[in-house]
Amino acid sequence: MAKIDEVKAMVEAGKTKLVPGLVQEALDEGSAAKDILQGMVDSMSVVGDKFSTGEIFVPEMLMAAKAMAKGVDVLKPLMAGDSSNSLGTCIIGTVAGDLHDIGKNLVSMMIESAGFTMVDLGVDVPADRWIEAIKENQNVTLVACSGLLTTTMPALKEAVQTIKGSGLLGFKVIVGGAPVTQEFATEIGADGFATDAGSAAVKAVELVKA
Amino acid sequence: MLSKKQNLLETIKGGNPDRFVNQYEFMNLIMESRFIPSVGPGQIIKNAWGITFSWPEGQLGGFPMHDPDHKVLKDITQWDKYVKAPAIPTSDEFWAPAIAHANSVDRNEEFVTAPLIPGIFEQAHHLMGVEDALMAFYEEPEAMHELFDYLTEFELNVAKVLIDKIHPDCVFHHDDWGSQKNSFVSPDMFEEFFLPAYKKIYGFYKENGVELIVHHSDSYAANLVPYMIDMGIDIWQGVMTTNNTPELIKNYGGKISFMGQLDSGKIDYPAWSREEIAKYVELACKECGKLYYIPCLTQGLNRSSFPGVYDAVSEEINRMSKIMF
Repeated sequence: MAKIDEVKAMVEAGKTKLVPGLVQEALDEGSAAKDILQGMVDSMSVVGDKFSTGEIFVPEMLMAAKAMAKGVDVLKPLMAGDSSNSLGTCIIGTVAGDLHDIGKNLVSMMIESAGFTMVDLGVDVPADRWIEAIKENQNVTLVACSGLLTTTMPALKEAVQTIKGSGLLGFKVIVGGAPVTQEFATEIGADGFATDAGSAAVKAVELVKA
Repeated sequence: MLSKKQNLLETIKGGNPDRFVNQYEFMNLIMESRFIPSVGPGQIIKNAWGITFSWPEGQLGGFPMHDPDHKVLKDITQWDKYVKAPAIPTSDEFWAPAIAHANSVDRNEEFVTAPLIPGIFEQAHHLMGVEDALMAFYEEPEAMHELFDYLTEFELNVAKVLIDKIHPDCVFHHDDWGSQKNSFVSPDMFEEFFLPAYKKIYGFYKENGVELIVHHSDSYAANLVPYMIDMGIDIWQGVMTTNNTPELIKNYGGKISFMGQLDSGKIDYPAWSREEIAKYVELACKECGKLYYIPCLTQGLNRSSFPGVYDAVSEEINRMSKIMF
């Protein structure tokens, strides 16, 4: 098995301790950092699909994301300044009044795994903080707003409408969370919607490449 | 007309109930037995385990805070350094209100019920954050087994005092095990970590006179039902529509009963309407039928988040009883 294939298999299996060594071995064998990274991104896509279909559960997804992050740590020094693989920066957070973070964190890991640089604003994010974050960061291509509670759906609407009405350009807005539907996402003016972390990553790539 | 208790037993044992069991009517919850104060609306508190909870004004509940300043369990391998179970009160003074409440209940009519909130898994992730907890099952399974054993031992010590003081006929135990779509962990992982803990806890209650075990998890958990039966759960409360409840009743009715099918998220919201509630209650009663099923909001207590919803659901269940019985 080629070393990159081993990296891919071990990322998918969530082997956090093995992946960094295998990434280094792949580099030592002459594989390019960007090819190794792409291999890991492909693995996480498989992980996302398996999560969406219920074949794997939250711990397996978390372990895979952590394994990939460990592999990326090895690649980072070699890829500094190389933006060819980056899909840009994604600002993510849970909207005002909502303290839930597990769904947001899973989505964050999966979007990062797809090739974005993540800026996590945390939970209970007021509408104007999104605007500040977009202005503070370079190359923002995606803003991801999460809301779990039916009672924070108005806050989700306010966040999206504030962001879209700010006059700032160059990014798409994706929303998600238990009570969110495609109809609601469309109604509040979001560019995209996803039902879970795996499909959020797929949608994120689709949106910024559109 | 059967008593609430008789009607419940007829329903879950496949007998002849004379109406639907109406939500939590059979459980007389002795809330005075809860000795760890919980967070209220608009508050931030640190509880007896050292866990900080915040309940933003106007929201649906309190949430544990897990930023670096607030997380209690920072390293699972050193759980015993961070996790200290609180003292369990035994004084007559503390227990007097709970005992008086329990003594006031007609046990032929209702089950004296001990509310147990949170459960083992919830306590673990309140201490360390849900992501750390879920990854620790893989990364530090021995430490997680030790932590679960410690939390189980605490629950057993609570059980001894509850049984001594209020002699519950029923326990209502709260431990969320999944999202709307799936269980948090795989059935194999559930069998390894959750099943032994709950067999001990529920087994102890049953060995000491508790007739009924009601477990709350407002989630998908259809894949865990065989384990629920094995650990001694009589009624799974909080069963959501995503579980295909009619199919569960068909497959497992007689071994366990299902209480819910009225998803709180769809029904209990600011703009709720009586017409919508009537529609959902009618659908649930007709789909799930008269046996092994208790129509109920999926919320984990006998209340709703928005005023009027719980009572409206109860009234619609009574209406369906008149139609179907």
